[in-house]
Amino acid sequence: MSHPPTGSFCGRTRREFLWQAGAGFTGLAMLGLLDKDGFFASQAVAADGKTPFGNPLAPHTPHLVPQAKSVIFLYMYGGPSQIDTFDYKPALVGKEGKTIEVKTRGRQGARNKGRIVEPRWKFHQYGQSGQWVSDLFPNLATCVDDIAFIKSMTADSPIHGSAMLQMNTGKIVSGSPCLGSWVNYGLGSLNQDLPGFVVMLDPRGGPISGAKNWQSGYMPATFQATLMRTRGEPILDLAPPAGISRPMQREMLDTLAQYNSEHLALRSDNTNLEARIASYELAYRMQSAAPEATDLGQESADTLEMYGINQPKSRVFGRQCLLARRLVERGVRFVQLYSGGAHNDDNWDAHSDMESNHNLHAGETDLPVAGLIKDLKQRGLLDSTLLVWGGEFGRQPTAEYAKGSGRDHNASGFTMWMAGGGIRGGQSIGATDELGNIAVEDRYHVKHLHATILHKLGIDPNRLSYLHSGLDQKLVGVEHVEPIQKLI
Amino acid sequence: MPRDRSLRAVVTKLPPAAAWPAAAAVAALLWGVVSTQAVCQGAEPAASASPADNQFYEQQVQPLLKQHCLRCHGEGKKIEGGLRLTSRSSVLRGGDSGPAVDLDKPMSSRLVEAINYRDLEMPPKDKLPPDKIAVLTRWVELKIPFPPGGPEDEPAPPPKKKSPQVDEQNRNFWSFRHVVRPPVPQVKGAAWVRNPIDAFILSRLEQVGLEPAPAASKQVLIRRATYDLWGLPPSPEEVAAYTADDRPDAYERLVDRLLASPHYGERWGRHWLDLVRYADTNSYERDSAKPYSWGYRDYVIRSLNEDKPYDRFVREQLAGDELPGAGNEGLIATGFYRLGIWDDEPGDAEQARYDELDDIVGTVGQVFLGLTVNCARCHDHKLDPIPQRDYYRMLAFFGGITRYGTRKGGVEEASLRPLKTDAQGHNQAEVAAYRARFAKVNDRIKQIEALAQPDFDSVEKDEFKIDLNHQRLIQKRVPRLVSQTLYDEYLQLMDTREDLRNSEPPAMQKALCVTEVGRTARDTFILLRGSPKAPLAKVEPGFLSIVEPSSPTIPPAPAGVNTTGRRSMLANWIAGAENPLTARVMANRVWQYHFGRGLVRSPNNFGLQGTAPTHSELLDYLATELVAGGWRLKSLHRTIMLSSAYRMSSAANAAGLARDHDNDLFWRFDMRRLEGEEIRDSILAINGTLNLKMGGPGVYPIIPKAVLAGQSVPGAGWHSSSPADRNRRSIYVHQKRSLPLPLVESFDAADADGTCPVRFASTQPTQALSMLNSEMMFEEAGTLAAFVETHAGPELRDRVAMALRRAMQREPVPKEIDRGVRLIEEFIARHQLTPHEALRRYCLIVYSLDEFVYLD
Repeated sequence: MSHPPTGSFCGRTRREFLWQAGAGFTGLAMLGLLDKDGFFASQAVAADGKTPFGNPLAPHTPHLVPQAKSVIFLYMYGGPSQIDTFDYKPALVGKEGKTIEVKTRGRQGARNKGRIVEPRWKFHQYGQSGQWVSDLFPNLATCVDDIAFIKSMTADSPIHGSAMLQMNTGKIVSGSPCLGSWVNYGLGSLNQDLPGFVVMLDPRGGPISGAKNWQSGYMPATFQATLMRTRGEPILDLAPPAGISRPMQREMLDTLAQYNSEHLALRSDNTNLEARIASYELAYRMQSAAPEATDLGQESADTLEMYGINQPKSRVFGRQCLLARRLVERGVRFVQLYSGGAHNDDNWDAHSDMESNHNLHAGETDLPVAGLIKDLKQRGLLDSTLLVWGGEFGRQPTAEYAKGSGRDHNASGFTMWMAGGGIRGGQSIGATDELGNIAVEDRYHVKHLHATILHKLGIDPNRLSYLHSGLDQKLVGVEHVEPIQKLI
Repeated sequence: MPRDRSLRAVVTKLPPAAAWPAAAAVAALLWGVVSTQAVCQGAEPAASASPADNQFYEQQVQPLLKQHCLRCHGEGKKIEGGLRLTSRSSVLRGGDSGPAVDLDKPMSSRLVEAINYRDLEMPPKDKLPPDKIAVLTRWVELKIPFPPGGPEDEPAPPPKKKSPQVDEQNRNFWSFRHVVRPPVPQVKGAAWVRNPIDAFILSRLEQVGLEPAPAASKQVLIRRATYDLWGLPPSPEEVAAYTADDRPDAYERLVDRLLASPHYGERWGRHWLDLVRYADTNSYERDSAKPYSWGYRDYVIRSLNEDKPYDRFVREQLAGDELPGAGNEGLIATGFYRLGIWDDEPGDAEQARYDELDDIVGTVGQVFLGLTVNCARCHDHKLDPIPQRDYYRMLAFFGGITRYGTRKGGVEEASLRPLKTDAQGHNQAEVAAYRARFAKVNDRIKQIEALAQPDFDSVEKDEFKIDLNHQRLIQKRVPRLVSQTLYDEYLQLMDTREDLRNSEPPAMQKALCVTEVGRTARDTFILLRGSPKAPLAKVEPGFLSIVEPSSPTIPPAPAGVNTTGRRSMLANWIAGAENPLTARVMANRVWQYHFGRGLVRSPNNFGLQGTAPTHSELLDYLATELVAGGWRLKSLHRTIMLSSAYRMSSAANAAGLARDHDNDLFWRFDMRRLEGEEIRDSILAINGTLNLKMGGPGVYPIIPKAVLAGQSVPGAGWHSSSPADRNRRSIYVHQKRSLPLPLVESFDAADADGTCPVRFASTQPTQALSMLNSEMMFEEAGTLAAFVETHAGPELRDRVAMALRRAMQREPVPKEIDRGVRLIEEFIARHQLTPHEALRRYCLIVYSLDEFVYLD
């Protein structure tokens, strides 16, 4: 070609050639994809016509030395209020009902003044580091020395639909792969018998936009999340239909393999056929691996207690947190748990009554999350597991309506936290203004959070790219993004 | 220019310090000449600074700049936004978009704006404390004194790496050159050459000493061709008839028969729907349905079946509403503009409008022209000679388009228009009759539901808001509140109502279509870094200058038309026979869908970094054939399919693998896995339950509850279709963006949020799980078992043979039958299964055969 690439910005010919090659996506093309030289090398290997099935989820070598192997993203759907949870604002205390000049932007649009709703819970300092935590989280408060709070988060949209997409895919526009897809694309999975990207939903319902929050967008379906449940069949279609026992299924698979091997024998150069035969065996193994992974019966009474599984209000999220630990223990890369589902007060979206809403959701999650941190720690897994807590945005310091304590959305300043995975705990970085409304100090955007997560996993966020629509797409966008230095 | 400070988010999405947001003064500057202007500013004579001023700089300003600014704007290796703050001249010269300080209006200087976080936010990480802002403001007030001896005439930072230019060299790039019919090469193996395609293929093979693979068997060919043109398996009878047909033109007859069938439009329509990001809903929180989107889907199928010339097809979709005589068909075709994702509650309305327009520019550029014009939204295209200006000139063609709708009801007004009908009076009567009938059925349904409703608890009341739950909630109260007889009637009525919904009289149907704001379009500006908050120069509609340097004059739209006429100009340019891209891009797609890969393997990217054609002359030959044949696709299909190249076997040979593993030269035909829709349709076809009814509103096969549970309101937007409708072809399934059909999705359905030029063919264990374990598959396997029990007679061998024959479309060999018989007999003997249940389990395996999902 007479026009060599003019830069490393927008595209690479060879790669597009492979992605769009007639045979379509094959596992082989994925190996070593992160590294250009490695990529071409693996292509040469594939060209020998004998290379066996290359699983696209086979582990890849990361760019950097990874600190974390897995991520558990505790997604507080709906948007928890920062000033009622971790962002202590004494200036608000005693100002209940006072109307002040303040610029806010939420689902009600932009406003210039509002009525203060005081934080509804008292704050205290905890741990050796003296982090502020409200009375919503008495158990989590005992873990703050392991937690780094980011109190200056910002996002682009104060509307759930686009904000959720941004938190999960980096873009406010629908159609991009999720964080978990990027991680599995970049690193592969450490356990081939389990999915590499697992999402567990709140039993009250999925988040809005449903599957858009766990799909792989323009990447192959290989990289989308598998939904897991803590009760009943853990994965869709995992169990054979009633009336097909495991020995019976084994016989069926053996018969199938005989047909497929004969078919392959005349077409031995086609590695996709081999891959397909292998995928049936993989599925068969998943049928035992997944129930084993999800069998909480193997856990001690003390452990169940620790996660709050014996208490009605924390049972569901406790089971999910415990299951998350069991999955990362088995090498699952990315687990996302939803606290909150469906609409309105079924999630953290407290538009009308702060107290009933946050008491409910914090009450359901406080003990399980604290249990998860402590359990990971006692098992030596906390260093290799990155925990991320937060929602798609925060909430305003002022009331949404003329009456009541409900708060509207706020993407201009909110709190998220991280723990484990080599994060230095016991610190708070960034700050909002004295009302807790707008991030003013060390402001970070969702893309910085994403960059930090990738960095912790050993992925250079500015190099992890995927060619689509003529562009080398990146989770963090095309402009260079720094991870949050204070966390790495 | 809008300056809504509360909508800062968009501006903060700009790269830190990459560029100053354009102030009103800059809007007049043309993109590209900014730096010239800035240099003039830089020539401003230095004000003579007093010693006190210099001291102020040295003690207060300089440390501050050093601490907060110079890392990106002076001292570092990288100069952000082209702005240095290291000398007076460089401050006055400014950065990419103009001077940082305006000495005439110092307090409106961009530097002052930025440190106050008014437009741009500098420093990006944190706003400076007030005292530091005061220092810099004072410095600007003093007309930015720099002490003597500083680098007064610092050179401007070197320009960034150049994007490819619109110049002669690039105009000469293969895809931008006029298409010229190439001479057909001479080859040695003339006996293999059935038409010029073969000569082009063979000449390349002969150059490297490879032989084309032998012809595929008749059985392989009928299977290949039928899936290719119909997306369905040939029936055993069709296979038998064709293999027995000894006439010399048996194959030609086969191709003609397949092309004449309406199933052709369903299969090739699916390809087109992939390209134009077709779906029936909007995505985002509500993911609500697009009314009458199916009209566009049916239009595509109909157009292909009618063999509508491709240039006409393009014109209708881009500007059918302005096309004289195009009527309803033209109106429905413009549904093209309404198929994309749509955020009904955007965080930033202006940003969302440009995102919607970008979706259109991106789709038009890639689908019709094979160029990623969308990459030039924020800056000149980095890899193609497409200046940012060209992006906005193309966007200007769409400058009159109304947005899809507004959240509360605006869709009807913006995007729906009634269809024109002939006999008004007659239609009115038909509509009235329909309405009356619907009301009668609906009222009766409500009456029956009313018997159960008072019994609902609060959860059930909520559940009842979703149509899908109605039947279950009523059934729970049989016979306590609703008698069995009434319930049976209820079920019947539900089906009738669904049928009625799906059969509105034509006079009631509407077109989902484009509309414009009027005869005058909105102004279009180049947007700095793609930000609607930073408009630069105004532009008029214009073609891609690398292909067509002249600008169009746009005549006013014909009287009575309430549009700008702009889209017609674009359509005429794209569909014109002189456009070098249109015919090449489409000919390549036709080849791609026949052979599994395009001659250009990046079918949406014919730019400098697209993949070069493996057979450029063949591509140009096909492009000229397409145009010479009146842009009719069917004759191109016929030419391609009658070639020896298409009829080759897919079997490998050592020489071919060694020399050309990836089959770049087409020494054999590539195997292909069926697409998700083909797999689902075939599952139903094989067990005899595929419903071949065409057209109309989308249907709703059953989606497992566990999958619906992922919705924020489980079941929302997913209705219940009759058993017959559930078994319609996949192209008629309601395509809900956030709720794809699990089986089809796991086999790599197109992601409809953007254009999809090539399907993946991934292999993953979840596919195996659904083929082996899903409720749907177990049921379909049972149906297949019942089918062969009915049709193959009492002998188990015959039943096994028939199941295999239907799945593989060939005669199974005895060993294959034996294997099945053995398994079934063993299941009966050892697992005490009934013969039917044992056969059913075998049928489940048949559906998982590689030979079922792969074509030779």
